[in-house]
Amino acid sequence: MKTKITALIALFLLSISATAQIDRSKQPKPGPAPKITLEVPGEFQLKNGLKVLIVENHKLPRVSYSLRIDNKPNVEGNIAGVSGILGAMLGNGTTSISKDIFNEEIDFLGARLSFGSSSAYASSLSKYSERILELMADAAINPLLTEEEFQKEKDKALESIKIEAKSVDAVAGRVGGALSYGVKHPYGEFITEETLKNITLDNVRAYYQKYFNPNNAYLVVVGDVDFRTVEKQVKKYFKNWEKGADIETVIPQPINNVQYTQINFVDMPNAVQSNISVTSNVKLKMNDPDYHAVLIANKILGGGFSSYLNMNLREEHGYTYGARSSVGIDRYGASRFNASTAVRNMVTDSSVVESLKEINRIKNELVSAEDLKNAKAKYVGDFVLALERPQTISEYALNIKLNDLPKDFYTTYLQKINNVTAEDVQRVAKKYFTSENARVIVVGKGSDVISNLEKTGIPIKYFDQYANPTDKPVFSKPIPEGVTAQTVIGNYIKAIGGKENAATVKSTFTTANVSIQGVPVTLSAELKMMTPNKESMEMSAEGMGVIMKQKWNGETGYAEQQGMKKPMTEEEIAEKKASNSLFPELYYDVSQTSLESIVDIDGAENYKVKVTKNDKESFRYYNVETGLLTRVEKTDSAQGQEMTSIVDYGKYSPVNGVQFPYSLNIKAGPQVISMNITNVKVNEGVVEADFN
Amino acid sequence: MKKSLFSLAALLLAGFTATAQEVEFEEFDLDNGLHVILHQDNTAPVVTIGVMYDVGGKDLGGKDETGRRTGFAHFFEHLLFEGTENIGRGEWFEIVSSNGGSNNANTTQDRTYYYEIFPSNSLEVGLWMESERMLHPVIDQVGVDTQNEVVKEEKRLRYDNSPYGGILGAIGENLFKVHPYKYKNIGEMEDLDASTLEEFNSYFKKYYVPNNAVLVVAGDINTSDAKKLVSDYFNDIPKGENITRNFTKETPITESIEANYYDNNIQIPAVIATYRTPGFKERDAYVLDMISSYLSGGKSSVLYKKIVDEQKQALQVQAVNIGQVDYNVFALFALPLGDVSLDTLLEEMDEEVLKMQTELISERDFQKLQNQFENQFVNSNSSISGIANSLANYYLLYDDVNLINNEINIYRSITREDIQAAAKKYLNPNQRLVLDYLPKKDDN
Repeated sequence: MKTKITALIALFLLSISATAQIDRSKQPKPGPAPKITLEVPGEFQLKNGLKVLIVENHKLPRVSYSLRIDNKPNVEGNIAGVSGILGAMLGNGTTSISKDIFNEEIDFLGARLSFGSSSAYASSLSKYSERILELMADAAINPLLTEEEFQKEKDKALESIKIEAKSVDAVAGRVGGALSYGVKHPYGEFITEETLKNITLDNVRAYYQKYFNPNNAYLVVVGDVDFRTVEKQVKKYFKNWEKGADIETVIPQPINNVQYTQINFVDMPNAVQSNISVTSNVKLKMNDPDYHAVLIANKILGGGFSSYLNMNLREEHGYTYGARSSVGIDRYGASRFNASTAVRNMVTDSSVVESLKEINRIKNELVSAEDLKNAKAKYVGDFVLALERPQTISEYALNIKLNDLPKDFYTTYLQKINNVTAEDVQRVAKKYFTSENARVIVVGKGSDVISNLEKTGIPIKYFDQYANPTDKPVFSKPIPEGVTAQTVIGNYIKAIGGKENAATVKSTFTTANVSIQGVPVTLSAELKMMTPNKESMEMSAEGMGVIMKQKWNGETGYAEQQGMKKPMTEEEIAEKKASNSLFPELYYDVSQTSLESIVDIDGAENYKVKVTKNDKESFRYYNVETGLLTRVEKTDSAQGQEMTSIVDYGKYSPVNGVQFPYSLNIKAGPQVISMNITNVKVNEGVVEADFN
Repeated sequence: MKKSLFSLAALLLAGFTATAQEVEFEEFDLDNGLHVILHQDNTAPVVTIGVMYDVGGKDLGGKDETGRRTGFAHFFEHLLFEGTENIGRGEWFEIVSSNGGSNNANTTQDRTYYYEIFPSNSLEVGLWMESERMLHPVIDQVGVDTQNEVVKEEKRLRYDNSPYGGILGAIGENLFKVHPYKYKNIGEMEDLDASTLEEFNSYFKKYYVPNNAVLVVAGDINTSDAKKLVSDYFNDIPKGENITRNFTKETPITESIEANYYDNNIQIPAVIATYRTPGFKERDAYVLDMISSYLSGGKSSVLYKKIVDEQKQALQVQAVNIGQVDYNVFALFALPLGDVSLDTLLEEMDEEVLKMQTELISERDFQKLQNQFENQFVNSNSSISGIANSLANYYLLYDDVNLINNEINIYRSITREDIQAAAKKYLNPNQRLVLDYLPKKDDN
């Protein structure tokens, strides 16, 4: 039987014969191009659908078997991770051989056997080739899927999540897929602790039943074997593998590319490098007429060491150990263009700019004849180099089947590579390398890189490590030596005018214009305070009079809204009694306060001080430069729900030698209230009765 | 399943019948001391040109008076791609790819290896490039400054930003006190920042000489043509001084060393028990290779089976024997599952080592090891570039290039008693470093 069909392939390499005398000042010319031939594997098919490809190669006394079940990508949804657990459970015994005996025999043979959720691979010396095939078939057809193994693999999977939790690359990979394809797409979904916990053994068994079938399976045999013998053996061991039901898989469309180029930032405080990825979705198949031109275009942009991206970011600027680009190829229309690199924190912004610059360069300028020639030569060389591996010809044969390629795809491959022109490169670069609708996904240490990224002028959106949108993160910085909560508070008191001046303030009367987000009416407010801790607030709407009141007279208090009066609870009274309303800083004792960190608020550094009173914590922020109070943050629980309120203070101005804020911004849960203070009176216009 | 039992019995009797194909080679020296090894294999039109220099991380740069510099060998592996008198800056990689080739280089504590893989019609291009690199590379401030930044990025990528990336460095600095294996192979960045151009030039002059290197040409060649080309390109490179190394020997560890290391990029801690054992040329190093396989090679190995599979205490467990010229590092490594403590894991691993010390491993396990090493041997010579690397390695570091065909005989000669004796001699708790590799708490 003739299993080898060979095709002679023309190489498009320079072929000039070598000269006799060496001249080391010039690069030697390559000799005549070697002749290469491409073999075709032997093939047969079983009744159950299993297709077998065999490549005989007797160079070494060994054999490998590679099984691949060609399922369409499928969504695992709320049990994401089920396929991984199945893969880990397979290949650990069969219904007739216990796990321990099975694993021991594989090791004893010095062989390897491993399974994925829709694949298997075995290799051994050729003297054990039949036995390892038998074990592989048995483990594939009659797996032991026990509760004990299931629990163990699930526990391991749960723990494994932690291994990568702080890995910048792992997070970048997950967020990249999720943002590009959407979390409902098979390529965008990811495994979490929650989805793992949802998985049951029945889910795993069902997955096996549905997907681990010979219908669309391929077995590739490579090595020191003989076609007829393998054919007999495969038939013997795989004939009992029953065909499964046909699967209807609907593959969702990946989500659309973004409307404008934007940075999608994920904060990882432990990062010492930023992972940058300029990416967008593309549709490209191997049988697409653009295929060869895209290969060449990508090679020039970022497909190797001498590419635009690497030469710029690594060799010219020394920003990175390497920068590369890729264009995914996918039969189902979901793949990505991706130009990525990892750079030190300080050059993150420059690297984003330079990456986009190189992408634009290949779109706007024709590539040089030299670059084009080199890129082609590299493809020719890679093609030749790959021939050393006997697996290559089976991979080619399998690719033709899986991707529905013409039979002569690989014999005409070099010809088509050679036909690509500089104009083709520019055309496909414009089509596939987006710089206008790209996500620039940056995973890195926000406190080091965000302020510079903002200067690039590219809009920034923030996401958490699971691709959920978030607010811009708030960062802390190291506290300088000698600075404590005491010094911060001391500075604050100095900044508002000194202890003596502040102590002369016995009461304040503040009027303000108030706007509440989502409420179209303009309100006005009158706030009164008196030492030691009395407070009153009345809010009025134009033409409606007072619509809300809050009162506290030092002993009791209430809130009244549209005629409904609600007295303070005992807890609230206790809290009010313990606090001072005017300049509470004057009364803190050291044990109640601690300096937490330096954080960035709206671009300015602030000391964050924790105040603990009656076992309740609140945080007060003081501007590092001015010393003034900028924010108070408190968390209260009401009816079992935690609610954080944030009050921001700004526009300080002096009254009687003491600084008062003229702008207040209050965020309480979903409510946002802004107060524009129009007037502050000190020690006038306030009487005791105002607080009742 | 009667049949399978029968075939299993047949296997037991099979013994060593398969042999890997013998790797044939030819060797010679040029007048300048360059050793050359040729291996002809015309099955695919591919050729590998490799040069291995006997210089590694352990060979520090600088001078005693001005301070010794770590990381020099690795830095050179970057610097020597910057260009030569006849190859302009940035052209190296372009020449390789325009000839359809691939290339790379790597550095260990012991040696530096550069290689190109080309379609075989570009053999001469490869020889020209490697001879240029050996004869007259351009070492200047521009190249030093660029590669300084690139190496820093490599360090961040591989070590500082990578989960468990600090393990090897932490082992080195705690297991070695006087031998330069205590320094990180990639070096300290302060050392590289402080280095002068003069220091780089004198390092090159000392180590990058033909008498300190081996050139391997393997693949689709004609040996007589290749010989001539090699002489044409390498003959005129001047010989250098002979290199003598005089590293201080470590005194044996007699009391367990405890150390902690904190990694910013992990959540799960790890325990690593490491032993300083004989260098890879020694027969005992081969015995320890077998011990590491016995402990963790495959799902039926004792540590995996007990700690991962049956007792579910570890996510991963591994015994490795890291090969180096002067001392190997034998390490037991485990990642706990759930709340299992590092101490428990260590105890469990120790229990199995103790068993090896007190009783012989079973005949069947012994046969299993032999089968595993035979399989490994057959696979070790499966690619031309792999063969080239092995030939260089065996010649330069093992002083016996025939090991490429004979190394399996060393493993075959090892007995169960040898295994027990090595476990007793090298793997005692008082002879090791116990490294607790721990998550670093967040800064904020």
